[in-house]
Amino acid sequence: MNLLALYCTHQTTPLAIRERLAFATPERLAAAYTRLKERFPETESVVLSTCNRVELYVARPSDAEPLTPPLLAQFLSEFHDVPLDEFVGELRAATGSEAVRHLFEVISSLDSMVLGEPQIVNQVREAYRVAEAQGSCGSVAHALFQGAIRTSGRVRSETRLAEGKVSIASVAVGDFAKSIFDHFADKLVLVIGAGEMAEETLRYLKDEGVRDIVVINRSPERAERVAAEWGGRTAPWSDLNKWLGQADVIVSTTGADKPIVDAKLFKQVRSANPGRTAFILDLGAPRDFDTNVGDLDNVFLYDIDSLRNTCEENRKARVREIDKAREVIDEETAKFMAEYYHRASGEVVSRLMQDWHGVSREELDRLFNKLPHLNEKDREQIERTVERIVNKLLHPPLEALKDEAREGTPHGLINALKKLFGL
Amino acid sequence: MPIRSPVYFPKSRAVNEIMLKTTVICFLASYGLAFACELSQLKRRHALARIVSLLLAVAGLVAHTFYLLRRSNQSDLPPLLSSAHDWLLVVAWLAVLVYLFVTMADGELATGLVMWPVILTLVITSRFVTDSPSHRLDYHRGWKMLHASMLGLGTTFVLLGFVSSLLYLWQHRRLKKRSMKTGAVKLPNLELIERLNRWAILTAVPFQAFGIATGFGLSIFAKGGELPMTWTDPVVIGGAITGLLMGVLFVWLLTQKRSPGRQVALLTAWACGFLLVTMIGLQMLTAAVGMRSIHGSAPVAAETAAEGRAP
Repeated sequence: MNLLALYCTHQTTPLAIRERLAFATPERLAAAYTRLKERFPETESVVLSTCNRVELYVARPSDAEPLTPPLLAQFLSEFHDVPLDEFVGELRAATGSEAVRHLFEVISSLDSMVLGEPQIVNQVREAYRVAEAQGSCGSVAHALFQGAIRTSGRVRSETRLAEGKVSIASVAVGDFAKSIFDHFADKLVLVIGAGEMAEETLRYLKDEGVRDIVVINRSPERAERVAAEWGGRTAPWSDLNKWLGQADVIVSTTGADKPIVDAKLFKQVRSANPGRTAFILDLGAPRDFDTNVGDLDNVFLYDIDSLRNTCEENRKARVREIDKAREVIDEETAKFMAEYYHRASGEVVSRLMQDWHGVSREELDRLFNKLPHLNEKDREQIERTVERIVNKLLHPPLEALKDEAREGTPHGLINALKKLFGL
Repeated sequence: MPIRSPVYFPKSRAVNEIMLKTTVICFLASYGLAFACELSQLKRRHALARIVSLLLAVAGLVAHTFYLLRRSNQSDLPPLLSSAHDWLLVVAWLAVLVYLFVTMADGELATGLVMWPVILTLVITSRFVTDSPSHRLDYHRGWKMLHASMLGLGTTFVLLGFVSSLLYLWQHRRLKKRSMKTGAVKLPNLELIERLNRWAILTAVPFQAFGIATGFGLSIFAKGGELPMTWTDPVVIGGAITGLLMGVLFVWLLTQKRSPGRQVALLTAWACGFLLVTMIGLQMLTAAVGMRSIHGSAPVAAETAAEGRAP
């Protein structure tokens, strides 16, 4: 199989190099396809470029000169104008069934930064769609990428690789906040501090329908920026206790070196709403809320450690599914290769049968011209007999070809048949 | 009293035969297996187990319905009025309906883990209370039907309040302990359970109150062979005490702007649990010791004597 995958990923290559090799815009990608076609005619190609990986899949006809990793690396160097020696050591290559397996692992998210993340499927689909639109896909690329999409579907349905949330913010909102509140549109969210984690949590909360957000930060400028970005409002630091008393969801990420709220203070500020449930997400390190706040009635306090445990458990549960996913990938790779070889040998089979039946037809026509007294029934009998002879003579070589295709590449036999029968 | 010929029986002979052969064991086994399916999913939910559990519940409900219809035809009385045995089975039947409704709405929820033990308890308990049809329905039949229906509906809502309280306490504990493992049992969120709990109690109490009030009225205006109400009747005493307790809970809930979660759940669980245990326990007690009661547990001699007084 004349298939090559050349790639650099987050596992092997620093971001600084991946950035330089990335096909960041649709225009750059289109230009890359044009250059690939110019430089390597009769070559199918698909480019997969995401923030975590740059991958090139190229396939050529079986009888064409195979593309080599150095040739593709040279192409990357010239296209991006990056000296070859700066990145060539970071590249990895796979050919034939290993290239197929690599793509199947990528789309199944086994190679992703977050195991089981779903975005990679859409990224691979999009890469395939663009390649198809650019006219860079042939029979191999179509079969390969359709096989990859099928494989990812199987991995997701037959394993639990994508189950459970693995980021702190998603666990906080998806597993805990949603187990407390039924809906978020009427909830008041108080953000204390304006760290990155708070923003990530806000993204998940916004997805759940949160409308009312109050941001309090010692630096008002930063609070203004976060509030503007997430459609909230700001409040001065001096009003902290007032908002603590009213909020349903509290996300805290201050850089304070000791807790800013203890149980006594919290009980006091909540005295006006004693039955009101509070979900507190303390993302500060050191913690912003004293742990005994979590002992109060109707208060659910989660700090980074408690959430990290859940993330880690979910991550471990996903890791336990890797072997199952690999089994599916092995199966699908073997199936893909068998189908591919079957198709490759199928071409030879049909050409051989066409040739032999063509020869027999010619000879029969000649015979019938010489024997015009033969009636329709006799002719039919003779035609059938000749056809049976041809089929019986072809049967042993074709069966041998099929057997070899089942076990792997039947190139040797295909070439022998081509030479022997002048195909 | 002679058993009258069936009135509501379907005409199909096959269905007729199935109905005649259906016993409490049939649906008790179905419900038991459905509960076992739920238990098998404690660590991880399985789609197949969920479907099997649902099918078992539906099969059980069909058998349950057949059984109640047969009992109703045999006694020529609606199940609610027939006997304490039938009355408990009607409440269990309503609870199964609620369970199926919740499961259809969200198959992921593990409400069965709390619902099935309660349903199974009701069905098993029904074996230990009187199943003799009441013979004292010559007068005030409409009022008696209203009385039994109100108490039946009230008890069903009390049961829902009890189940939702347990669910709340379970979910609350899990959240406080931060044990929300992936794939584990999924429970409704606290806010939703709190709302359901509140509405279950607020609906149950008026039904209960009206049921008890009509019961008192019927006893005061007892006619003919009917047993008059006595203040020593354990069912009457128990009903009055638990009704009062629920009334207090009802007023307290109405005065709360925002229910303080766990406290309400605890209070409701105790109140509803007490009411259920009292009502069912008293029925069992009166049946076991042959105590005189206006709810069908009068000793045979007393009943015969009462019938002898009839005009």
